[in-house]
Amino acid sequence: MNILIVEDARDQRMLLSVVLRKKGHTVLEAEDGMQAFAMLQSQPDIRIVISDWMMPGMDGIELLQQVRKASGERYTYFILLTGKSDRQAVVEGMNNGADDFLVKPVNFEELDARLNAGIRIIELEQQLEQQNQQLSEAIHTIEVDLESAARTQESLLAKPATIQKVDFDWFFKPSKILGGDMFGYHPIDSEHIAFYQLDVAGHGIPSALFSFTLNNVLSDTSDSDALASKPSEVLATLNNRFQTTPESMLYFTMAYGAINSRTGSVTLSQAGHPPPLWVSPINHQVKPINGEGVPVGMMPDMTYQSQTIQLQPGDRLFLYSDGITECENPDGEQFGDDRLLDCLKHCLTLNISETIRYVENEIRQWRSEDGFDDDVTYLLLEWNP
Amino acid sequence: MSFDQRQEGEFTVIEIVEARLDASIAESFKTFAFNLIDNDQHHLVVNLSQVRFMDSSGLGALVAAFKKLAGNGSFSLAAAQPAVRDLFDLTSMDKLFTVHDSVAEAVKGN
Repeated sequence: MNILIVEDARDQRMLLSVVLRKKGHTVLEAEDGMQAFAMLQSQPDIRIVISDWMMPGMDGIELLQQVRKASGERYTYFILLTGKSDRQAVVEGMNNGADDFLVKPVNFEELDARLNAGIRIIELEQQLEQQNQQLSEAIHTIEVDLESAARTQESLLAKPATIQKVDFDWFFKPSKILGGDMFGYHPIDSEHIAFYQLDVAGHGIPSALFSFTLNNVLSDTSDSDALASKPSEVLATLNNRFQTTPESMLYFTMAYGAINSRTGSVTLSQAGHPPPLWVSPINHQVKPINGEGVPVGMMPDMTYQSQTIQLQPGDRLFLYSDGITECENPDGEQFGDDRLLDCLKHCLTLNISETIRYVENEIRQWRSEDGFDDDVTYLLLEWNP
Repeated sequence: MSFDQRQEGEFTVIEIVEARLDASIAESFKTFAFNLIDNDQHHLVVNLSQVRFMDSSGLGALVAAFKKLAGNGSFSLAAAQPAVRDLFDLTSMDKLFTVHDSVAEAVKGN
C-alpha cells in the first residue's frame, strides 16, 4: 500500500517511515500540508495518509479539508495524529472527514492495527471500483450490440420506392435504440401491392426481435400470393400463427392493405390499429377509415373484417402507429387524432416526401425534447396511375 | 401500492389506484392478478375508474390475466373512462370480455 506520512518533526517522520517500510509498504514523506497536498495531486496511487495535526503552514485539518474537497475517483484513507486523546479534537477531526486517529507518541502495535483497518477499507473500495469497471464495460458491450442490431433493423426496412405507379415513403423512429414498430410493402403480382404497418406491444429487445420475425414472415411473398391480396385472411392467419402466452404477452396491432395499382381499389383490414387516414387532395379531404379487430396474437380464432375503398388519382393513404397520437408535450398533453388530421390537411399541396418531413417537424415541435416515449412510425402511399 | 383488492361476494374487485395503466406498471399488475388467480380467486373485476390513460402494455396486462384464467372463472372490467373506452373499441375488447359501466353492475353476477 502507498502511504504518505505528513509530519514536520523530522525524527518522528523518519521513525514512522522506517517502521512502515519494514512492513512492506511504499512510504512517501512530506514536511507540511502544502507539500503533502501537492504530492497527493501528482501521485494518485497514494491511498493512505497519516498526518500530524499541528504543523506550520497548512496544518493537518486544513490538509484533510483540501483532500476531501478535491476527492476524485478514489477514496483517500486519512489518519490524524493528535497530541492528546481529547474528545473535542476527535469530534473536530471526524467532522472534517478523518477516518481514524493515532495518539502521539505512536504505539507501533496500535499503528499496525489501525493501518490494517484502513487497508481493509481501501481494498474493499478497490474491489468495488473493479466491479464498477467490469459493469461499465459490460454495459458498453451491450450498447454496441444494440446499436449494431438497430442498424440491422434499419437495413431491413423497405426503402422509399415507386412500385407499379404507387409511391411509398415513411418515417421511423424507435423510442429506444430498437423498435417494436415495423412496416413494409411489396408487389404481390403484376397489379397488386401489399402494404402494412404494425406495432408490437411494449418496447425494447423482445418487441424488436418479434418485429424482426414478423418482417421476415410478411416480406416472404412466395408463401401464398393468393392470400396476400385478402387482408382479413392475412390477419386471421397471422393471429393463429403467433398466439402469445399470458407470461410474455407479445402481441401486435396492425393495419394491412392491398392495392390494385391499375384500378386504385384498396382493401384494408385492421387488428386494433389506429385507422389509416385517406388523404384526398382533389376533394380537400382527410378521413379515417375506421375498422375494428382484436390485436393479433391475443386470442385464437379471431375473424377480421375488411373494407374496400376506391382511390382517385393522387389520393394517399397514411398508416401510423399510436406513438404519434399519444406523443406527449412537456405538459403531458397528447398530440391526438385531431392535430394529426389538421397536419395532413395542411399537406394537401405538398408532395409525399415533403409531407413526411412536415409531419415529423410538427411532432418534434410538439414533443420539444429529444427522443420519444413510444416508437413513432408512419407510412404514406400515393396512387399515380 | 398501485393496486388494491376487495371481496364482493364471489367477485374479487381489483382497484387500480393509478391514473396510467402503462408499460411502467403493466408487469406489476400482471404479478398482482396472477397471484390472485394462483390463490384461487377466479372471478375478477377490474375497476378502471381512476385510469385516464392505458397503452398497449396496459391492455396486454389485462388480457394476460384473462388468458391466465383460461376459461376457468370470469373476468370483466368496470368504469372505464372515455379514452380507455376508445382503446377498447379500437381493439374490439368486447369480443373478449364485458366492460361494465360500474363495479356495482359488474358484481351483480349473471
